[in-house]
Amino acid sequence: MRLGRYELTLEPRPAVSAVYTVLTAVVAILLALALSSFLFLSADASLLGAYRAVFSYAFFNPRGILATVQRAIYLLFCTYAFLVPLRAGLWNIGLPGQVFAGALAAFAVPFVLRAQEAQTLALAPGLLILLMVAAAAAAGAMLGGFAGLLRARLQVNEILVTMMLNSILFWLVAYMIKEGGPFMGATAEGEGFTLPAPLTAPLLRGVPFTAALALGAAVLLDLLFAKTALGYRIRAFGENPAAARYGGISPVALSLLVFLLGGAFAGLAGYHAFTAVPGVYKIPGNYGFYGDLAFYGIISALIARGSAVGAVPIAVLFAGLSLGARFAQGALHLPFGVDYALLGLLMMTFIASHALYQFRLAWRRVPSEVLQPAPTELPEG
Amino acid sequence: MPLTLPADRAPTEPILAARGITKRFPGVLALDHVDFEVQAGDVHAVLGQNGAGKTTLMNILFGLVQPDEGALYLRGQRVHFRSPHDAIAQGIGMVHQTRRLVAAHTVLENIVLGHPRVRGFLNLRGARREVEALCNRYGFTVDLGARVWQLSEGERQWVEILKALYGGAKILILDEPTSVLTPPEVKTLLAGLQALVRDRGVTVLLVTHKLPVVMAASHRVTVFRSGSVVARLRTGEATEEILVQHMIGREVAFRTADRSAEAGRPLLHVEQVSAFNDRGLLALRDLSFSLRAGEVLGVAGVTGNGQEELAQVLAGLRPVTSGKVRFADRDVTHLSPLERWRMGVGYIPAERIEVASIAAFSLVENTALNYHFDPAFTPRGLLDDAGLDQLTRRILSAYNVKAPHQYARARHLSGGNLQRLILGRVLSRRPRLLIAHLPTQGLDVEATAFVRAKLLDARAEGAAVLLISEDLDEILSLSDWVAPIYEGRFVAVLLREQADSETVGAMMAGLQKEAGAR
Ligand SMILES: Nc1ncnc2c1ncn2[C@@H]1O[C@H](COP(=O)(O)OP(=O)(O)O)[C@@H](O)[C@H]1O
Ligand SMILES: [Mg+2]
Repeated sequence: MRLGRYELTLEPRPAVSAVYTVLTAVVAILLALALSSFLFLSADASLLGAYRAVFSYAFFNPRGILATVQRAIYLLFCTYAFLVPLRAGLWNIGLPGQVFAGALAAFAVPFVLRAQEAQTLALAPGLLILLMVAAAAAAGAMLGGFAGLLRARLQVNEILVTMMLNSILFWLVAYMIKEGGPFMGATAEGEGFTLPAPLTAPLLRGVPFTAALALGAAVLLDLLFAKTALGYRIRAFGENPAAARYGGISPVALSLLVFLLGGAFAGLAGYHAFTAVPGVYKIPGNYGFYGDLAFYGIISALIARGSAVGAVPIAVLFAGLSLGARFAQGALHLPFGVDYALLGLLMMTFIASHALYQFRLAWRRVPSEVLQPAPTELPEG
Repeated sequence: MPLTLPADRAPTEPILAARGITKRFPGVLALDHVDFEVQAGDVHAVLGQNGAGKTTLMNILFGLVQPDEGALYLRGQRVHFRSPHDAIAQGIGMVHQTRRLVAAHTVLENIVLGHPRVRGFLNLRGARREVEALCNRYGFTVDLGARVWQLSEGERQWVEILKALYGGAKILILDEPTSVLTPPEVKTLLAGLQALVRDRGVTVLLVTHKLPVVMAASHRVTVFRSGSVVARLRTGEATEEILVQHMIGREVAFRTADRSAEAGRPLLHVEQVSAFNDRGLLALRDLSFSLRAGEVLGVAGVTGNGQEELAQVLAGLRPVTSGKVRFADRDVTHLSPLERWRMGVGYIPAERIEVASIAAFSLVENTALNYHFDPAFTPRGLLDDAGLDQLTRRILSAYNVKAPHQYARARHLSGGNLQRLILGRVLSRRPRLLIAHLPTQGLDVEATAFVRAKLLDARAEGAAVLLISEDLDEILSLSDWVAPIYEGRFVAVLLREQADSETVGAMMAGLQKEAGAR
């Protein structure tokens, strides 16, 4: 934008300190909370009371904390599923499809081995659980790898194809769990069968073992990117694909690899959501909700700027606030959809702060020769 | 065939003239008191090497660039073009070196839009009739409803010409129109231009650095060298040799490579290699040569004659459509870039920023670009940070890279320092074959001398060096063998002793000549 002899430009910021990064995140959260106050205007309680209700349920109520942890684990796996390809400059928008594939594969293990009832277990439960985890990861990886191959090999529009895969998988789940479908539940209609107790994910103080997987993966992923040759290749490809190719990094192999890895994490998210959360232990009728929730993994990966460990507090925050808002919605008769509205606000303030983080506004004096109408080269049309 | 001027036409006042034009860009004198005249009804060729100032002058004639000194005359009247609008209003049209069409729009929309006659209300139907009439007259068939992105490069050029004609151009400036075309497209274009001149009395200014185009399609030619006009000729009275001498000048090479190093055994054989460029046109045509360890082969040519594709084929970054590449007694035609790095191929690409480095990475991480696969630097799959740090510091000091420290981002290095880093990084692998594409482009005198010295050092240590450059002096001073490249082929491979700048310059410009081929 030009005003007289001066020009207002957005220009990239030079390197920014870590403190500044955290500070922008905190400001973004506070801003989102402040903006959300209008959501609470119709509440049965005061504004402060509404906030208190949200936070106390999410982070201080024993039931609420467990729910927050469960959801945070789910979001974290989704975050990694997006983050790994993102480091290679690729966008994994097939996330929901991969989550569903993981869920189906996890439930296929007891189904195929006829282990739907606790009495008929063919193998040791521990082994079966291991198989379920592996199957979920493998199925997610396969679906992700398919997108990766499309992306790298054939010049097809992988966005279109993955979107189609997402909805195919969505309907596949519907077909499997509907009345008469192979995974049909014994009692309720439109739900999958319930896992026998021995096959549910083991809990430690109410927290499933997937929590350890999620936290371990955060550390390992950051180490992968910081310390290993493979992580270097992924980053190099993400920063400059042409340079990476020049340096001997195969675009096809690399794209395939990051999508396999990302897909595996999405599969684990599917495993976690339906076999590790007490009170669920089946593919519920509203499984589509998890597909939508998966996209918050995208946002948290973007906000964490590619750091898996950095994504942990963000996932916890997203999980807690969405659950807390949902709770407050019921308790204080808030308008329907307050939880989504709050997440949406968070997303917007984070993205706005992201822009401010990378760019700054600057006034520049326009050099006088530029002001003469003598562009030597017009931009290419 | 040189065209002859109609005999009955008396020498007339020039339709367009530029007198005493001087144009400076920061640090460059692009045009130095240039006098230039065009006769009505001519195809007037403007010939000169890259950087001679052709485009700058054309931009001035089109009102796109303002001269620092000098004046323009149209039909004897002094004119002042403040912008291309003024030039278009006076019947001048220009087709730029790069296409400037809106790819998502239709052909018709592109022709009609932005036209001074189209203000406000757009009568597409009427315009279509007019454009169709134009097309019919020149035997040019293009679907006016087609989107521009669907067209070939040749068709796009015609669309731009039609756009200029529709705008009422009586003087048509074409800047390097043939550089992106296939040979049949060139033929069609030149024939079409001739029809334009003959039937419509259009005057054409044809900018090119290709001699055959000048000889085949022009009535007169003005030759530029380093911002000055060095010759004005009737094409019928010129020969390719004369034009080349004007174009290149008679400059002698001032430094030659040290002949003492014993040439080793053949290391690289390239046999009948053909390859496409990114636009799917044949960029290398049955190209063959071989290169021994301890030798420098200098590939001299004007950009766009297959140099980039040759470098990429040798580095494994571009597939061949036919032919074979043998390196160190092994068929490497289908080996990946990684396998070639491992075998000792080192590549310094022309694009320092886009290809040879990663701007957001530190210098250490940039070093890793050529080492992430090296077992010595990746024990158990981990990057050896300490080793890379040390190696980078060695490169920085041995190659005089001016950087605050080895963890600075590559984007903060100046062009010369970045090139030293890239050179040092690639040479630190002690490649057996070094491909150096435009290694001194844009560098200052000191950095240029440094890079050249390092290339000669590599040769002395037994590397086979393929040096691709546009700078004839550079080629002549460093090479043992000189290969002028033209349209995807080596015109010849000359021993340095046989290669003088005129011969090589002529071959670079497309003059075919039998010489000590190898
Ligand atoms: N906009 C510009 N800014 C700075 N230098 C320029 C600009 N345009 C051209 N030059 C310089 O002017 C000289 C002549 O360039 P140009 O007219 O494009 O040559 P040609 O078209 O004959 O290849 C070159 O040295 C080029 O680098
Ligand atoms: Mg030019």
